[in-house]
Amino acid sequence: MNPKLTRRRFIKGVIASGAAATSTAAWYSATGQERPSGFVERLVRINVNGQVRNVDVEPQETLASTLRYKLGLTGTKLGCNRGECGACTVLVNDTPTYTCSVLTHSFKNDRIETVEGLESANGDLHPVQQAFVEELAPQYGYCTPGQVMSAVGLLRENPSPTRDEARHALAGNICRCGSYDSYLDGVMRAVELTG
Amino acid sequence: MVATSHDVMPDIELYQPADEATALDLADRLGNEGWLLGGGQDTYGWLKDRNKTPSAMIELTQIDAWKGITENSDGSIEIGAVTTLTEIAKNPLVQSRYGLLAKAASIVASPQIRNVGTLGGNLVQDTRCWYYRRGLDCYRAGGNICYADSPEGLNREHALFGASRCVAVSPSDTAPALVALDATMVVSSSSGQREISAQDFFVGPDRDILHMTVLNEGEILTAVRIPNTWANAEFYWEKVADRNVWDFALVNIAAVFKTTGGTIEDSRIACGAVECVPRRLTEVESAIRGQARSESTANSVAEMATADARPLNYNNFKVPLMQNLVKRAIRG
Amino acid sequence: MAYMHIGKDFTPPDVPGKVTGRIKYAEDYTREGMVYARLLTSPIPHARVIDIDASEALAMDGVIGILTADDVYPDGEPQSTSLKILTNEPTLVGEPILALAAVDEKTAETAIAAISVTFERLPFVLDPLDSLQPDGADAYNGGNTFVFRQGFAGEKWTADQVASFRAGNEPTAEPQQTVAYGDLEASFGESSYVYEGTFTNAGYPHHSMEPRSALAYWEDGKLFLHGGSQSLTAFADGLAGIIGVPKEDFVFVNAATGGGFGQRARAGSVPVYGVPAKLSQKINRPVMMRVTREEEFTIGGARQGLTGWIKVGFKPDGVMAACDLWIVSDNGGKGGGADAYSAADCISVLYQADAVRFRGTAIGTNTAHRGAQRGPGQNQIAPIISPILDVAADELGVSRLEIRKINSAMTGDVGGPQRTPFTSAYMPEALEQAAAAFDWEGRQSRRRQTNGSKVVGLGIGQGYHNAGRSGMDGIVMMGADGRLKIHNGVGNLGTYSYASTSRAAAEVLQMPWESCDIITGRTDLHLPITSPQDGSNSIFTNTRTCYGAAQDMLTKMKEIAATDLGGDPADYDISNERVHQIADESVGYSYAEVAQRAMDLGGKFTGSAELPEELAEWTQIAVSRLAGTGFMGIFHDPRHEGNPPGFTVTACEIELDKETGKIDILEMVSIGEAGTIMHPKGMDNQLVGGAVWGIGLSAYERHLYDPQNGLPASTGYWQSKVPTYLDTPLKIETGWVDLPDPENPVGARGIGEPSMGSVSAALTAAITDALDGHIFGASPITADMIINHVAGTTEEAVPLAQNNFRG
Repeated sequence: MNPKLTRRRFIKGVIASGAAATSTAAWYSATGQERPSGFVERLVRINVNGQVRNVDVEPQETLASTLRYKLGLTGTKLGCNRGECGACTVLVNDTPTYTCSVLTHSFKNDRIETVEGLESANGDLHPVQQAFVEELAPQYGYCTPGQVMSAVGLLRENPSPTRDEARHALAGNICRCGSYDSYLDGVMRAVELTG
Repeated sequence: MVATSHDVMPDIELYQPADEATALDLADRLGNEGWLLGGGQDTYGWLKDRNKTPSAMIELTQIDAWKGITENSDGSIEIGAVTTLTEIAKNPLVQSRYGLLAKAASIVASPQIRNVGTLGGNLVQDTRCWYYRRGLDCYRAGGNICYADSPEGLNREHALFGASRCVAVSPSDTAPALVALDATMVVSSSSGQREISAQDFFVGPDRDILHMTVLNEGEILTAVRIPNTWANAEFYWEKVADRNVWDFALVNIAAVFKTTGGTIEDSRIACGAVECVPRRLTEVESAIRGQARSESTANSVAEMATADARPLNYNNFKVPLMQNLVKRAIRG
Repeated sequence: MAYMHIGKDFTPPDVPGKVTGRIKYAEDYTREGMVYARLLTSPIPHARVIDIDASEALAMDGVIGILTADDVYPDGEPQSTSLKILTNEPTLVGEPILALAAVDEKTAETAIAAISVTFERLPFVLDPLDSLQPDGADAYNGGNTFVFRQGFAGEKWTADQVASFRAGNEPTAEPQQTVAYGDLEASFGESSYVYEGTFTNAGYPHHSMEPRSALAYWEDGKLFLHGGSQSLTAFADGLAGIIGVPKEDFVFVNAATGGGFGQRARAGSVPVYGVPAKLSQKINRPVMMRVTREEEFTIGGARQGLTGWIKVGFKPDGVMAACDLWIVSDNGGKGGGADAYSAADCISVLYQADAVRFRGTAIGTNTAHRGAQRGPGQNQIAPIISPILDVAADELGVSRLEIRKINSAMTGDVGGPQRTPFTSAYMPEALEQAAAAFDWEGRQSRRRQTNGSKVVGLGIGQGYHNAGRSGMDGIVMMGADGRLKIHNGVGNLGTYSYASTSRAAAEVLQMPWESCDIITGRTDLHLPITSPQDGSNSIFTNTRTCYGAAQDMLTKMKEIAATDLGGDPADYDISNERVHQIADESVGYSYAEVAQRAMDLGGKFTGSAELPEELAEWTQIAVSRLAGTGFMGIFHDPRHEGNPPGFTVTACEIELDKETGKIDILEMVSIGEAGTIMHPKGMDNQLVGGAVWGIGLSAYERHLYDPQNGLPASTGYWQSKVPTYLDTPLKIETGWVDLPDPENPVGARGIGEPSMGSVSAALTAAITDALDGHIFGASPITADMIINHVAGTTEEAVPLAQNNFRG
């Protein structure tokens, strides 16, 4: 059997089911073609750093790809692209999340915050950022945005963590320079700054 | 053989059903072409590597009916399969009555993985044998060789028990906990629902070398029921891994005990990462029934726990490690 | 001495950009018209490319072009073990064969999968001792070793010689290299305790967080390359040669680097940056080459694995009489290193043995390329030698602290096979300080205390690396605004050395830090040559150049003031950004005024004449472009005398669970001895960061290759076991001796590498202590090894094997 035919039939069958779906094949609006009902737009609205952004997102696109390559938010780093390092951590509804290992389409109704969104309107650093500067927490700095986001997530949930609670909260972020001690100093300093 | 390090998500359809019926219908229609997507933490690596090539992903996490933790009138609880591990670990009901599961959920991988990773995903995740994950043509990948069980194979993290061509192990931390708690898996499909005991949910390579659970095409694990039988029992949970974050267990153990005046009336003990399925230690359970929960009881049965062990080149250490964990569980 | 800047904390200018995500790493840049390159790498450990058929890929929509080794080396590939930009003769899995550019990465990946490469498979080998067997495979085409200036050679032992070494005996084969001093036989004769045994150090990958991605484009005949490196000008200088572009037409942009640890110090380690450069030239488009984590494993390289035999003798009072060391080094599929020799040098320096002999042989394997990694050699030997010292101390009835004190290096001592004098050395002070901060004596009562299955182990360890070079150039500039511009070519490694060494210039001119600008981050800002930022040298080397350049500016200031305002230059001093007469402070120039006068005068004052001789070619280009644009201070550093050492001492207490093999580090104190401390928080970062590396070396990190097919298994963070927050201490106490070194104008030396060695030494000593003095002779010591030891079980592992670390 012609595999292409099989695949077309398969897609057709799914369309008939009326499920919400996004797909490259279903990217009709760009071509102006009439599209079947039930498909979710590939053009999505996502809330990033308090702004609603309209973005053309492929179905399989990771949030890291959208942030870095569609929105130019390159503060979110790709260290491993496999959920093994934490450099790509952002907050989704205040929860630290590896953006290399989630799909952008899963967060159409959620609040996404990246490291670029932490400073106040007048340009003041977020207390965690300020504390990390004061404590010279970063070394090479590539893991730093992820460490910052995990720390911000922690302080929203628990404004006065112990050092041990802080290290458990940041445990999903590798620092190859081994600056863990300095990052924890930074988190504890941030607690002072916000206290 | 792969000549490039694939890293970009390939083109693939995504379905985001918002209700059960649509999801089950999709699962039915797509069969093995439809990849069931929980938190996705054991999905994107496979897809980026192009070592699994389904046509579509069916995202289950938008379905509210399969989320959350509810208490039934008989005291049992039901946990939706797409409830995150973080939610389970922090849930007061789970913590107070089934602390064993809360503890197991709280030690999976890393905080961010637990934040999106689901109970269902942790239970049905595929094995971590790196030969298999590398995309080699091993038995589990449909080939006819096992690279790990060979004279030179790297098998430090592989099985002591139940090898049948494949020597991969169960990587889950929550699975042994649910086996110990005598949980029931609720499996749905467009043709109905069936319930399977946690212990029977997992299958070894002797029964099905391509899959690690009894789930058929079109079936979705939608909930886990934990009977009140073992609520507030005496629990023991421990995971030994190389690193304390991210790493899968070298061996883990989940045990529940009912005691009266220090004497064990009943128990259930399961170990992970020693076999393709969570290994229930029924002989040990029988042997300690009526015995004191003590050091001497623990010592008397430790070797029994590994009596059938068949270590490979590099995993002899799992024998004393498993014995030690059994001892620790029993002596409390 | 009361300094204005030295020894004070400050915020290096790039730190805010790191916490806001605003600072740019190579892959964060875009360029109009940019296309995306991906690599096709060898799936086979040792092969020869017979044919490449890319016709199908090139016909695909969105594919722009490919680059092969034939494009890069039209006259044939260089025949050496050095890394190449691309190759048709891969000697390890993952070595880049070709690159393909397309409109996006997904297209590039799909297209690469459509390229058909025909390989001739060649025999491969993963363990140096296997290669030494009479019938062992050779890693390279032409042998298993590479002799400098002579080429490939085949080194073979008899089967009995290999078997005897694996069985734990002293190798009897002829070594490639022998270095010795003292009377070994007589010194062993004086020994009352002699330890003898074999050991292995597993190699392991660098796994820097930022992969070696790079962007390249050509404009107006100039090559612009965005990449990460540890060094800026030294790296660019070398890279221009590798790519084949004139230095004056090459701009290297490198504001930040997400990790180096040795293998991004020199361009020879990262020739892959030539891929986007050459591809961009070929297709006339900006090319972004994103490197994946798996590729980074290979391209990023690894530490040499060492397989050795050691014999150490101690006199009755604990003095180390002799050390005999025989090491077979794993050189991997490319590169190599002198780790083994450095291991011997380190023992000689730290323990001042009367007689030392080093014998070594380096053999290739078809595994990741090898080269310098944080303390190459010094740090591998640290976890091997430290437990031996402890067992000797216990045998001889000397305390474990005392045996280290009596063998310590001090000012006036010499070290290493070359018997080089130290510029200064304060190891006894460091030991005292660490022992006091840790309460070493008080804690002895806890030694080997048990709590259920847990047992307490105490360890103390020392680290060393030579920590300073000289002979580089310095440039400072000042314009009519009176601001001091410190041109620093060190590179932004995250140690902040580029900033702390710049403060030596500010110190000389008594400039407020707010009035200083560090000029760095890209080479078209005209930066002087520096030594590569490796070997813990930057603080020593570049404080000398920054200090010297500022001194030159100060001298010129006084000369201008004396000429214009009367008197002799010696009658002038500086304060508050003015140069003025000592007798009458009102007579003088502000810095802005003197800079303007310098520009009016030109000539030597603006770098247009009377330049120091021996400026490097790179510096000359920078100076020629800066000449006449401002007041210039310029300096070529003469060579220094002696070995400036960096020392550290670490003490730790662990709890080891004999049932699970897990260790928990309860307390850790690390003390640095690095001369005057330039930047306390920077120093603290090096000590705590080195600690995590030391923990990784001693207990976690490994290199895993499948003996059946040569595939690497530890390509990610998970399988290579980079330590996490929860594998390291909750708090690491740090401190420093802070005594000045006479060979540095501000008294400073480096510290980055020893900080790791002392932790590895202390942790391994603590594990040994908890296990009643059992010496594993290995790094790392993992949970399974501890479990096996306690239970008396053994694995079927081949003794002394490299690259298949315990399966």
